Amino acid sequence: MRVIRACRELGIRAVAVYSDVDRDALHVRLADEAYPIGPASPRESYLAIPKILEVARRAKCDAVHPGYGFLSENAEFADAVRDAGLVFVGPPGDVQRRLGEKTQARRLAREAGVPVAEGTLEPLQGLDHARREAERIGYPVMLKAAGGGGGKGMRAVASVGELDAAWRLASGEAAGAFGSAALFVEKLIEHARHVEMQILADAHGGIVWLGERDCSIQRRHQKLIEESPAPSVDDALRERLGDAAVRIARAAGYQNAGTAEFLVDTRGGFSFLEVNTRLQVEHPVTELVTGLDLVALQLRIAAGEPLPFTQNDVRRRGAAIECRITAEDVGRGFIPATGRIALLREPAGPGVRVDSGLFAGLTVTSDYDPLLMKLIAHGSDRAEALARARRAVRETIVAGLPTSLAFHSYVLEEPDFVAGRYDTGYVAAHWPPRTPTTLDESATTAAALVAVLATRGRVTRRPVASPDGAWARSGREEALR
Amino acid sequence: MIYEVSVGDRRVRVDLAGDGRFLIDDAVVAVDTTEIVRGRQWSVRIAGRSHEVTLLTLDPMRLLVDGHEMEASALDERAAAAARGTSAARGGRHEVRAPMPGLLKTVHVAEGDLVERDAPLMTLEAMKMENELLAPARGRVVRLAVGAGTKVEGGAMLAVLEEAE
Repeated sequence: MRVIRACRELGIRAVAVYSDVDRDALHVRLADEAYPIGPASPRESYLAIPKILEVARRAKCDAVHPGYGFLSENAEFADAVRDAGLVFVGPPGDVQRRLGEKTQARRLAREAGVPVAEGTLEPLQGLDHARREAERIGYPVMLKAAGGGGGKGMRAVASVGELDAAWRLASGEAAGAFGSAALFVEKLIEHARHVEMQILADAHGGIVWLGERDCSIQRRHQKLIEESPAPSVDDALRERLGDAAVRIARAAGYQNAGTAEFLVDTRGGFSFLEVNTRLQVEHPVTELVTGLDLVALQLRIAAGEPLPFTQNDVRRRGAAIECRITAEDVGRGFIPATGRIALLREPAGPGVRVDSGLFAGLTVTSDYDPLLMKLIAHGSDRAEALARARRAVRETIVAGLPTSLAFHSYVLEEPDFVAGRYDTGYVAAHWPPRTPTTLDESATTAAALVAVLATRGRVTRRPVASPDGAWARSGREEALR
Repeated sequence: MIYEVSVGDRRVRVDLAGDGRFLIDDAVVAVDTTEIVRGRQWSVRIAGRSHEVTLLTLDPMRLLVDGHEMEASALDERAAAAARGTSAARGGRHEVRAPMPGLLKTVHVAEGDLVERDAPLMTLEAMKMENELLAPARGRVVRLAVGAGTKVEGGAMLAVLEEAE
């Protein structure tokens, strides 16, 4: 959807691919052309390189944009696209390989003079090796997949007793997600903030950094809220992070849009985590603050154009905050939920952007990521961005399945978050809330009335004999889904 | 018809009188209600206060009340009385259910196995993570409902464990 929008604005024909369960999806309907590539299972569709290239050939495409998930960080795919005589919108395969293997990326960052968290610079040889290294750097540690990032194949280990189980789970996940069970270990930095720096690099050696995003609000190492500027980052630290990201990009021969991820500790020190060699889900935060269209710039860079501005031209204005609204039951440990969207109201108004593929009637399945909608608010400062985000979340209605909206609504008003005091432990420390939501008398009465109307609507399958007002009308309802 | 209604931690009695009047805890309340989306969304005015209430999910019932998500339930008096009469679940027998939809990747036990409490029973792959499902108690696996490689829905019964001494 995001890519189709940029294509439309640039007058580029957009061709979409879809799996069987996505036949009704918005990206299929809004694209100029759309082609099926197989069943729901990603391996048989969205990860099937030959099928995607076949569509590109048949539709006479010039370039392939890999989106954010699936093949977006797959060097083989980038190579295959190039070998098919097409332009890959993203960094070339060899650059992805250099950064995709995480221990290699750590060595590269270190050689570029960027601080790296203490840990192994080579993949571990086995459980015994992991035990020795963990002992050497001291618990707590993180076991991480060497083959890829994005929070997959990753486990925090508090003590030696947890190492066995963590090793088994992390290597199993890593093998499934990246085709390699290799792991490395690094020191776990407590109370750290997850801060990332957006960069753009053209094919002519031009590299700029655009600004940071704080992505510390996570569950299961998956982000729920991102904002820019990061509350913990001042101008001096921002310059240092930007400089570090550019140095890594230069050392890797980077091209196109990318993100260098860092952990920022409580004393303002930072260490490099990994590079995401793709456009990220949270890129709108940077777009709102800088006024740039990152997807359009990706397309121009891929076409061989030089960056149309220099570092000194990059202006950041105000603050932006993104809420990732997911199909999850936040009251039961964020477990993914499925269902049919019965009613939808997306927010609008000043400073509010919605990136969403939702529509009423859409069936949300467990086949893919639970992300439903991104709601991004922009304001002249953090307070205004927050006020707009709160207002927008309260306007939003997604009925038919559990969503994360209650979580977002709570966090946007929670005093620590509002004060910018948070780190990667925030969700565990603040959710679920200790005090339940309470309504005033009038709202409680309204809710009680609707509870009855909705229940009657469900249990009364026959028409009510004597219609006598609004309540009876609802009693005529068929069973609700 | 009289209903026992809960909204969050509040309990109220709602009486929809046959003449169209609406009583809450035996007091008549003047309300103006319009159904905006059939069976889903209502606009409710009470003494000038405007409320928008949306039915988010039915089972369990969740309402969005002016942007606040609330758990709710409404039982007519007879159903409420019946609900109070149901007894607690049978002890000694544990059903292991999928906490979320996902792919059952590995089954670590066989029927008849005696397992310790917190022993890993199966590995469920969901949400990009592998999750180990642990034995809720020391006991014998009396039934395995699904095998490895099966895609399961959230809440699906996976195994039955009988507590052992």
